[in-house]
Amino acid sequence: MSVAKSIVAALCRLMREDRLSFLGLAVLTLLVLIGLLGPWLPLGDPTRIAAGPRLAPPSWAFPFGTDELGRSYLPRVVEGIRATFLLSIVAVSITAVVGSFFGMLAGYFHGVTDHFVARGADILFAFPAIIVGLLVAAMIGPGQVSAVAVISIATIPLFIRVVRSVTLSVAGRGFVTASEVAGATPWRIMTVHILPNILGAVIVQLTYAMSIGMIIESTLSYLGLGVQPPQASLGSLLRQGSAYLTFAPWLVLSAGMVLSLAIMSVNLVGDAIRDAIEPLKGRALK
Amino acid sequence: MSQTIVELQDIVVTYRAGFLGGEAFEAVRKVNLSIREGETLGLVGESGSGKTTLGRVCLGLLAPTQGVMRFGGAPFGTLRQRRGQLSVVLQHSEWALNPRLRCGASVEEPLIILGVKPDERKRRVTDIFDSVGLGDGYVDRYPGQLSGGQRQRVSIARALVTEPRFIVFDEAVSALDVSVQAQVLNLIMDLQHKYGFGALFISHDLAATRYVSHRIAVMFRGEIVEDAPSERFYGTPDHPYSQMLMSSLA
Amino acid sequence: MSALVEIRDLVVAYDGGGGATRGLDSAELYVASGETLAIVGESGSGKTTIGMSIGRLLPPEARIESGTITVDGVSVVDVDAEALRQLRRDRLGFVFQNPMTALDPTMRIDRQMIRAIGGKPSHDAIALLLRRAELDDPERVMRSFPHELSGGMAQRVIIAMAIARSPKLIIADEPTASLDASIREKVMDTLGRLREENGASMVILSHDLRLVSRHADRVAVMYGGRVVEIGQSATVLEQPAHPYTRALIAAAAGNEKPGERLEPILGAPPVLRGPCRKCAYEPRCGLARPECANSRPEARLVAARAVCCHFAEEVVEATSDAGEARTE
Repeated sequence: MSVAKSIVAALCRLMREDRLSFLGLAVLTLLVLIGLLGPWLPLGDPTRIAAGPRLAPPSWAFPFGTDELGRSYLPRVVEGIRATFLLSIVAVSITAVVGSFFGMLAGYFHGVTDHFVARGADILFAFPAIIVGLLVAAMIGPGQVSAVAVISIATIPLFIRVVRSVTLSVAGRGFVTASEVAGATPWRIMTVHILPNILGAVIVQLTYAMSIGMIIESTLSYLGLGVQPPQASLGSLLRQGSAYLTFAPWLVLSAGMVLSLAIMSVNLVGDAIRDAIEPLKGRALK
Repeated sequence: MSQTIVELQDIVVTYRAGFLGGEAFEAVRKVNLSIREGETLGLVGESGSGKTTLGRVCLGLLAPTQGVMRFGGAPFGTLRQRRGQLSVVLQHSEWALNPRLRCGASVEEPLIILGVKPDERKRRVTDIFDSVGLGDGYVDRYPGQLSGGQRQRVSIARALVTEPRFIVFDEAVSALDVSVQAQVLNLIMDLQHKYGFGALFISHDLAATRYVSHRIAVMFRGEIVEDAPSERFYGTPDHPYSQMLMSSLA
Repeated sequence: MSALVEIRDLVVAYDGGGGATRGLDSAELYVASGETLAIVGESGSGKTTIGMSIGRLLPPEARIESGTITVDGVSVVDVDAEALRQLRRDRLGFVFQNPMTALDPTMRIDRQMIRAIGGKPSHDAIALLLRRAELDDPERVMRSFPHELSGGMAQRVIIAMAIARSPKLIIADEPTASLDASIREKVMDTLGRLREENGASMVILSHDLRLVSRHADRVAVMYGGRVVEIGQSATVLEQPAHPYTRALIAAAAGNEKPGERLEPILGAPPVLRGPCRKCAYEPRCGLARPECANSRPEARLVAARAVCCHFAEEVVEATSDAGEARTE
């Protein structure tokens, strides 16, 4: 009855009952597979200039059309999926580790520690992600590293807040008190008693952070602060395509649609996980 | 004469509302209590009377604002120094055990903290499950697979596994059914006979407390208003508040 | 006395992992108008199931397999959703165990009272209702959020809501279990008085036998999804005729003499997979004989109460002997 196993079991049940969550999971799986296998799929070279006519509409040879340099747009979108997912996953993983650590610290130790961590999170939270993005880009230069840094900075306070509040409720439970009385170290209490019991909430929060991360990455790349050409991300493709919006709308449409699908599917799966973890309680009126 | 385990001298606990001073609230006022080896002291009173706060002081979880708590004749020190010497059994049976750990692992934990060797731990866990009337089969179960009474037995096993000198039972039977309550109360008394620990039995239920305790302290608004042998609570206790509690048993 | 609630042959099953289990196994019960009936039993005995089935307030995994529930002339089992809502709103009042979870933590009491009463009650009407529930400072209570009230006050608010529409039946599920011992009696007195003023009936679900003996006219003892003994409180609790009733009384702390040992009921209540064809209490019963394992005892009248036990007469005799021995 490990956390992972119970979540998977509940998810499977939910997926069977709820078509929307099922759809979300299917789309997400597809996108991740495409992103993973992208370089090995027979879609053509994303960087080959003048593979076809410039700004050609979708056709059999170029399903998503071509861009202003005559590059086939489909492999570029696939590369964009890859970049957007990869950057978000890396950033959110950092967030999860750092955010859970400080969140648990704040929730378990009251007083000064809590005060500092919680206020620190509030201050971070108060900065709009874009301002932070400009700042970071100015300091370390635009690129993947700064995109990851900005996503982490923007999502860590959310994480700290949620982890802190669930930690507070778990820390008040009898088994934690019993362990404290037995003389357990704070490290032991946090790893053995608190972490396994807040893991569900952490996973749910992870999916939300993931969708926020994808939005931030796209925004940054759209503003030219994230992924740099010739590399593509969904955001930089949107930026690139927006210049030709009036006479080559397929560029923006294809990248935009894929981005929306990605964010939507992540959210749907996140909702499904949350429902699986926190089933409705209480008496229903039948 | 058996030795005094826990001794409270002029304990005062003050809570301050707010960050900068604010109004102070005296949860416990000048309480003196002592508990001997092999003796159960019942602590009754309504919620907000300070009995849970006093329990936390006895467990070393809360440092009193004033006064001294002595354990086995010496100052308490830290919980880490006292590990294995005291333990607690709490009310809410659904949260008393970590739902992610098998019952055996929960019971084993105090031994791990104490630094007992693995094969010795295994033997003692098996023994203690036996003592609380749960067979070997329960070691590998998760708390969610047990009834309230069984979970409370596991909690008692965890509290007893290091053979501590002092155990606090905080509303330990309040959430249980009448029939199960009697089983657990009898179990506590039998185990005390066997292991000789001193106990503080905190409850708002005078009937259960009087049954399991040797002495009863009645707490009212942060003070002990009566401290008398349990037999008195089968007759007429002195303090008007005690008498009112008695009236609900008539 | 006319019956306000009549439950006949009720079977309720709970769907769950490992197949369905029976919560009620052909349970029978009636509540007369104007009386207070207490239903007692261990958890798993079916007391909550039968109590909540009166308002058809069963959890989603529960299924009514057969039987009838009639409340004030309405057949609850096959009534439609709208009529059920009407029945609950106009003729039933509920008091739950924990007032803090029954109240909405985000809403002031006055707004919650308005929703409970329905329509547009005046400020004074709400205050009056709270005062009737013996809340001394209704103005303050109305302005408060639930967390600003003590447990006892919150339960009085719930009681005020329960009687707001002058229900014919109040269903109280462990109404004082979450309250301090020192105020339980007073809250029960309030509940009892308001019931009487309204001329309503009341069903109390409780495991507190002392409370039941003081506040209920009749008591029904549930075991294995059936009412195994039912009669006047004094009759049943002072001279039980079912071995289970006797064991429950013996297990409760409070009646023992100093140094006397309580007798817990060993074993656990049965988990029924289908109809029980024997006495459900047989595995735990000290008096059990082969007959008990072979035939299901039906309710019969013994010493002024209905009881489901093949050897009820012996139990009554044994308890009266013990009673005499004790008074000597």
